[in-house]
Amino acid sequence: MKEVEEKEEASVYQRVVLKNASPYHYLKVRLVLEDDSTRLSAVELKYFIITGLKSLYGEVGAALNFDVLKYDEDTLTAFLRVYSSLVKLWSSLTLLGSYQNQACAFRVLQVSRLNPLPKNM
Amino acid sequence: MVRLKSRYLLCEVNVSDRSQLLLLDDRAIMVAVKAAVARTHGDYGAAMCSIRFCVKYLNAHTGIVFLRFPKRCYKLLWSALPFITSIETRGQKIPCFLNCLHVGGTIRTCQKFLIRYNTQQLHRMLPKCKSEEEKQQVRKAILSCSLTESKEAFEEDSESEGEEEEEE
Repeated sequence: MKEVEEKEEASVYQRVVLKNASPYHYLKVRLVLEDDSTRLSAVELKYFIITGLKSLYGEVGAALNFDVLKYDEDTLTAFLRVYSSLVKLWSSLTLLGSYQNQACAFRVLQVSRLNPLPKNM
Repeated sequence: MVRLKSRYLLCEVNVSDRSQLLLLDDRAIMVAVKAAVARTHGDYGAAMCSIRFCVKYLNAHTGIVFLRFPKRCYKLLWSALPFITSIETRGQKIPCFLNCLHVGGTIRTCQKFLIRYNTQQLHRMLPKCKSEEEKQQVRKAILSCSLTESKEAFEEDSESEGEEEEEE
């Protein structure tokens, strides 16, 4: 069975719909900042996403359970996992506009319901 | 045929000091509810609250308030009401909490429930009455509860209930 939905910068776009997949949603995101040399640690990234959830969805949204499974500090790319409400997480990532007075954007590269990481991670 | 449906929440405002209850007004409650919803549900909640939310009725003597919410999101906004700890009016902060008694689709059903609820409260207070005069007043209030003279029934119920509670 094919596993992933891929979205690439070029015009190739593939969409596969699965039923009976796992209850988790996996998101591969990249943070793009105005100043390319800023680095965030994994904890800072998670806190930043929580502040975005808090401004859009309040205290209840900030309590949303999500995990940062893997984080690459050099390219600022992360794998996130949420239990069931992908809409809340994705919409708050979309509306997060500034990190410490710098303009920023979250690019969502890949969304899937099955774990895209290899088994040993 | 196509109708805008709302849900009316009948809530009771509980304060520890009854004299402070009289200071409440509907603007203050509206501000308190909006602030609690914005804190609990963020921008999403604040937007849902701004469409058809208002305080329809407030009785300062008994602390009964009717809140109107749109039908499609009333549960979410209802879940933010327990987070209200104080209401600010005229420079004073009154610590209180909101207790929801009934949810109705129209103001009329909420009114009918309120009249039944007030009669039950008066029935419960009747054995506790200390003098014959009080008992007569309570009995008269119970007998005169009806929907046809709705406005008078409200005022009678609330005033006699207020009297009973103050005397005790």
